[in-house]
Amino acid sequence: MMVNLNINGRGGEVDADPDTPLLWVLRDELKLKGTRYGCGAGMCGACTVHLDGEATFSCLVRLGEIEGSSITTIEGLSEDGDHAVQQAWIAEQVPQCGYCQSGQIMRAAALLARSPHPSRQEIVEEMSSNLCRCGTYPRIIRAIERAAREA
Amino acid sequence: MTMAPATLTRRGFLRSSGALSFALLSSGGISVLAASTEAQAFADGEVTAWVTITPDDRMTIKFGAAEMGQGVNTSLPMILAEELDADWSRVSVEQVSSDPEGVYGNPGFGGALFAAGSSSLEGYYTYLRRAGAQARQILIQTAAEAWNVAAEEVTTRQGILFHGPSGRSMRYGEVVALPRPQTSRPEGAESSLKPRDSWTLVGTDVERLDIPGKTRGEAVYSIDVDLPGMLYAVQLLSPVEGEHPTINSDAAARAVAGVVDVVPMDHAVAVLAETFTAAVAGRDALDVTWSRSSPFRLADSAEELAALSEAADDLSTDAIVWETRGDGPFDFREGKVVTAHYTTEHVYHAQMEPLNAVAAVDEDGRGAEVWLGTQSQSISIAVAAQVLGTTPDRIRFHAMQMGGSFGRRTVFARVLLRDALLLSRSAGRPVKLVWTREDDVKNAWLRPATVHRLDALLDDQGEVTALRHRIASPSIFEFAMPDRWDPETRRDQLVMEGSESSDYDFPAFRAEHVLLPRRSRLSAWRGIGWGPNCFARECFLDELAASAGSDPVSFRRRLLSKSPRALAVLDAAIEMSNFGTAPEGRAHGLAFAGYKATIATGVAEVSLDGNRLRVHRFWAAVDPGLVIHPQGYRAQVEGGVLFGLSSVLRERTTFTEGQIEQNNFYDYEPIRMSDVPEIEVRLLESGDPPSGGGEIGVPMTAPAVANAVRALTGTSPSHLPFPMGTA
Repeated sequence: MMVNLNINGRGGEVDADPDTPLLWVLRDELKLKGTRYGCGAGMCGACTVHLDGEATFSCLVRLGEIEGSSITTIEGLSEDGDHAVQQAWIAEQVPQCGYCQSGQIMRAAALLARSPHPSRQEIVEEMSSNLCRCGTYPRIIRAIERAAREA
Repeated sequence: MTMAPATLTRRGFLRSSGALSFALLSSGGISVLAASTEAQAFADGEVTAWVTITPDDRMTIKFGAAEMGQGVNTSLPMILAEELDADWSRVSVEQVSSDPEGVYGNPGFGGALFAAGSSSLEGYYTYLRRAGAQARQILIQTAAEAWNVAAEEVTTRQGILFHGPSGRSMRYGEVVALPRPQTSRPEGAESSLKPRDSWTLVGTDVERLDIPGKTRGEAVYSIDVDLPGMLYAVQLLSPVEGEHPTINSDAAARAVAGVVDVVPMDHAVAVLAETFTAAVAGRDALDVTWSRSSPFRLADSAEELAALSEAADDLSTDAIVWETRGDGPFDFREGKVVTAHYTTEHVYHAQMEPLNAVAAVDEDGRGAEVWLGTQSQSISIAVAAQVLGTTPDRIRFHAMQMGGSFGRRTVFARVLLRDALLLSRSAGRPVKLVWTREDDVKNAWLRPATVHRLDALLDDQGEVTALRHRIASPSIFEFAMPDRWDPETRRDQLVMEGSESSDYDFPAFRAEHVLLPRRSRLSAWRGIGWGPNCFARECFLDELAASAGSDPVSFRRRLLSKSPRALAVLDAAIEMSNFGTAPEGRAHGLAFAGYKATIATGVAEVSLDGNRLRVHRFWAAVDPGLVIHPQGYRAQVEGGVLFGLSSVLRERTTFTEGQIEQNNFYDYEPIRMSDVPEIEVRLLESGDPPSGGGEIGVPMTAPAVANAVRALTGTSPSHLPFPMGTA
């Protein structure tokens, strides 16, 4: 089945089984590997992308449900990898293994787009959707607060 | 990558190109290959096996320990770069994938490429300093010969060589265009190392070199590898260890679009497909019956806990003495005896990248290219060679960045890599074998449950005169490293380390292991034995302090009086936390703990809202001897504290009839941001050499939190996870 999508600012058609989760369309059909597979159950957030601007578990969204949608992945968050959140992530030296960080950054960017100066409570509530087994949470909080301050 | 032909050189970092090298001939003789006396330039800028410099001054430094998030890609090259007087802003790094000449392995692991147990900094420290000094000496000699001056007159700073008397200077990038020195072979002797007060790089907070790419989604894990013609493999794995499949029908699986083949294996049925989703759909359509002959059919985690408790308490059960100091008596029949029990349940690693392996077996079936996120390149290459019945030089190995590990990726290669190789060989195509999260959870190699019985004898003054720490647990070592297990001594360092309590001055002390048969697959887990063992001991010490009419701080201070390092971290944590002055409704608890040579004290500030435990703040004072990269080390401590806290709150794997009951992160849920306390880390440096940081956050955390709960309620939780999780 052909599905029209706008991915990272470029329109195009994807030809795949409509039941295919968006995550695997991104990773295997479009070779956008920065979006990660962690659980396939919407429990870890490693697969978080923006679907029409909202942070979304791409493992739970099926291709057939999103005809005409706009999707932003970590590869398309900024032209040169210099989104305020990405810069803050470097300044606070957040990543360890890095596997969850695309999803963390995408969720943080969506949060700041919606709420440019989130309270600590807002940050924690929003970001608790995403797991980080290395335990970079304290630095994620600091990076989001920095991005809010410096953006 | 391509492998060099088998060459034999002296073990060590002294190998450098353009000098003498030797080849092992097929006859078994050794031939001197290149003893040229003619002037040679540095081939491809290779100064030594570790360091390459290009004419524009860019420098590449290799590192041998595999990167799993712990930051060795920055901290290890920093050690070498310090001695080399490198310009760090021009340094890039390269992870070593194989070591045919025995140059890059961790001296602390017998020269293997093996990153585990927080051993990389400790094992490589002196070795990398010498490697840096050697490279620097080669550059100095080269410049000295070009200038026709004495090498002793040449100095270095930030990538530049200077000859003071003549005022000349030369960049490192210029030196590699000159002929190699012919005078002598520098050896990077320890006497040539820089004194600590002249260090400019080690101890600074440079940025981790891998972080920019990780913020752009550019890091490549083995699960991201994509090869022309590659198939995905997903397995229907045996529900119980040791069972074998009979395929009733694979017609429905084969009918799934994209499925290429269904392959029966000893312990699984694999589905090969053009996409991951097709492979999963094919697997779900399989009709398979499993044998019912495995003894693990009877394995039950609740029964195991009961058996461990019984064995810990049955003092007639044979125990393996792990550590003993002073004279008993250890029968604890007379005097004021305090006895307590502590339990830790099975836990799973939950690394974020599910296990996977990529293999492309050669047409002749006797070689392969392999991509794997592994804690040990050496073990993985050996496994691959064994599976294919070939020699290691036929394995072209790519060590990939790991999406977390925590002990999960030490010897897993003997399962995942083996299967990927077998499947690639049978398919005649490259294969990426992926375990789903459910496969990863259900086929976990667990940290085993442990039950601890501690007995202490107190004298009239409330001083401890004897203490016994008795630990009932199956052996991790016997299962995970069977070829190195000694069935005579049965000493299991992966279970027992951390029970020694060697900083505490107990007049008589014994730690002993009551060894029971395993009922699940086992492996080390972040913190290794130190996690459970420090939990039990530190909770017990608070019990003893109360029995002795003392308090947790002065009781420990007396017992630690002969260890200045221990007192220093204890005092630092007390000062940081203003111990004992928690706000209304909260309480502080502390624990002194270690991991090998690293020692620490942690303080937790907790409250209870009904049955809901909150950890608000955590202070950690850590002494790893010497800190190479402070902010990276802090990150490790923070992560370790949260790993430990996660095991306090709700991590628990259970199994019945040989099957793990949990499935995914919805029923095995590591800590989330909503449960994260404010964490403050202070690093103390008592001197050379550095010791590791990956584990140390774990052992102090659970007992500090338990002791804080005790301070709040009068009762210490004695069971990990605590009954009052936050779920």
